[in-house]
Amino acid sequence: MPGSIQHNASVPGAVPNPGSAAKAGPLAGIVAAVAVTAYAAAFLLSESQGLILALLVGGAVAAGLAVRVGAHRAVARSLAAHGRLGDGLAVGMVLALMVIFHDDHYALFLVATILLYVVAVLGLNVQLGFTGLINFSCASFFGIGGYTAAMLGGHTGVPPLVILACGGVTAAVVGSILLLPVLRTSGHYSALVTMAFALLFKVFMEVNDAFGGPQGVDVAPMRLFGWDFSSDVEIGSYTGSFYLPYVLLALALAVGAFVLVRRIERSWIGLSLDAVRVDEVAGACFGIDIRRWKITAFTAGNFLAGVSGALYAMMLAYISPANFTFADSLIFLSILLLGGIGSSWGVVLATAVVVVVPEKFQVIQEYRFIIYSSLVLLMILFRPMGLLPRKVRAYRRQA
Amino acid sequence: MNQERILDCTGLSMHFGGLAALSDLDLFVNRGEVLGLVGPNGSGKTTFFNVVSGIYRPTTGRVVFQGEDITGLSPQRIYHSGIVRTFQRSRLCLELTVFDNVMIGNHKRLDLGFWNNLVRRGRFLAQYEEGVERAGKLLAALNPALVARMFDPVGDLPMIDRRRIEICRALVGRPSLLFLDEPSAGMTHDETRQLMDEILNMGSYSEGLSIVLIEHEMNVIRRVTDRCVVLNFGRKLFEGSYDEVAADPVVQEAYLGKEVEEVE
Repeated sequence: MPGSIQHNASVPGAVPNPGSAAKAGPLAGIVAAVAVTAYAAAFLLSESQGLILALLVGGAVAAGLAVRVGAHRAVARSLAAHGRLGDGLAVGMVLALMVIFHDDHYALFLVATILLYVVAVLGLNVQLGFTGLINFSCASFFGIGGYTAAMLGGHTGVPPLVILACGGVTAAVVGSILLLPVLRTSGHYSALVTMAFALLFKVFMEVNDAFGGPQGVDVAPMRLFGWDFSSDVEIGSYTGSFYLPYVLLALALAVGAFVLVRRIERSWIGLSLDAVRVDEVAGACFGIDIRRWKITAFTAGNFLAGVSGALYAMMLAYISPANFTFADSLIFLSILLLGGIGSSWGVVLATAVVVVVPEKFQVIQEYRFIIYSSLVLLMILFRPMGLLPRKVRAYRRQA
Repeated sequence: MNQERILDCTGLSMHFGGLAALSDLDLFVNRGEVLGLVGPNGSGKTTFFNVVSGIYRPTTGRVVFQGEDITGLSPQRIYHSGIVRTFQRSRLCLELTVFDNVMIGNHKRLDLGFWNNLVRRGRFLAQYEEGVERAGKLLAALNPALVARMFDPVGDLPMIDRRRIEICRALVGRPSLLFLDEPSAGMTHDETRQLMDEILNMGSYSEGLSIVLIEHEMNVIRRVTDRCVVLNFGRKLFEGSYDEVAADPVVQEAYLGKEVEEVE
């Protein structure tokens, strides 16, 4: 226990608990979660562009006001004081949205997309956020997972749940081709290697008829315990969208990936990855095996992208090379920049914003790349740590 | 003189293209001594550290540490054999906490397996508590106030505390040989004096610790070193006690320049 150092007479006071705060009640956190859920539901329900614009402005103003009066600190304290509360509330929010939109295909599709993007960007977070390996081909690895699902689902009898894992493994294995150039280069050069791969991947998929060529390929839907995910859910007289099980499975993947990435961060592995990012030479002088950790991070990140890509493809039922372009990789990267490099909660928030806003606010759809790039520039200028900056590492969950 | 040589370098040269940063250097360190490494800027002091700690592979020569040939091994292998160093421009991870930085130095004792880190969290947390205790003891010995700031980012701390953390990071793995590259850089005289006293007290933390110290502050060299080696243009210029070094005309010339003999 940290307190045991007190035996040493020369130490005044106890070692503080990392990130400790005066014990705050859970109320602030719960209220915030309910408010955010209501806001998200209102946003997803709105159809008219004027209403959506009003909601966007209103949301920004409300967030600004909350920061002004210090409400965000109360919420942060409340969540920090109750270790699992934040996790539970986040899961609860998704479940609440599932109930509210049980027969709305489109809204559920968006929720599932957010959850799957979260998994992929969490992988990118391990690569870029922790280890400092820049990867401009995240969408390609997402796509490799998708194509693995298409090939295995169409031509073999591999159970779909195993196909998800295969998608991850294939992405990780294909990624290992890139390992040699990525390990031999650093900084901008490593970025160029992954950029080249992203462009190559799309062309490769377009010219290979075995993978459906530019027209793309059908993907068999998810099946779990004999239950076909492509038909609507009927429980008694209750009918739900066929997207409901996808949302549920995507939620399970997202929770799994989140727990994994957070455990990586809160361990000696995360410490080693950080040391590689901050200073390779100093790290090497303290025995840190730079290559080992770069390989670990790159492989783990690509695995997460591949798994989520496989389920995404099953949900779309049809994929083509146009789904996994270099521009999509840039979107994954901009999500990470927007949320806060290295910040797992930031990834969740930023993914929701980046996926939903252009879908609902159709007016900006055509300009979304201009908007993303200006948003990234503004973030770098005014809030380089992102919407929810990464906190210093606390290895132990607080009470 | 039956002192044991912990480090023995023979014929060490390091060439960068046409530039000889070290040429044919013979240098040894006895167990338990503090060796001062002095010389003008660019005389090869830091290069010597870089060669022995594995950042550079020497062009020629041999480095023997505790009876083992460690010439050209990777920095990782050399760290594991028991040599650690600090850097001239403190290379701490400023955004990481004090604890994280110290634990980087403790890397050889950390269990890096996936299973124990990610799945068996109880086992990991037990190791974590052990680390907190170890880091706390070490920090308390240097500056008790640092213990309370163990989970603050290093970037929030003043220079002298950063130096202390660097010392902790180096010592936490209980090395046999410590290279200190200008620990006084960026600090006042008083701070330097204080820090050096603290470092010497820390010798007891690591049994039989030998130290090689690069330092421009001659007061520090005089006070703490048992023996000095003077480098100039990558060669050994002189070797002896501080008093001998200070009195030597060749050394004075290297530092202050030749006296002008013919004045018009």
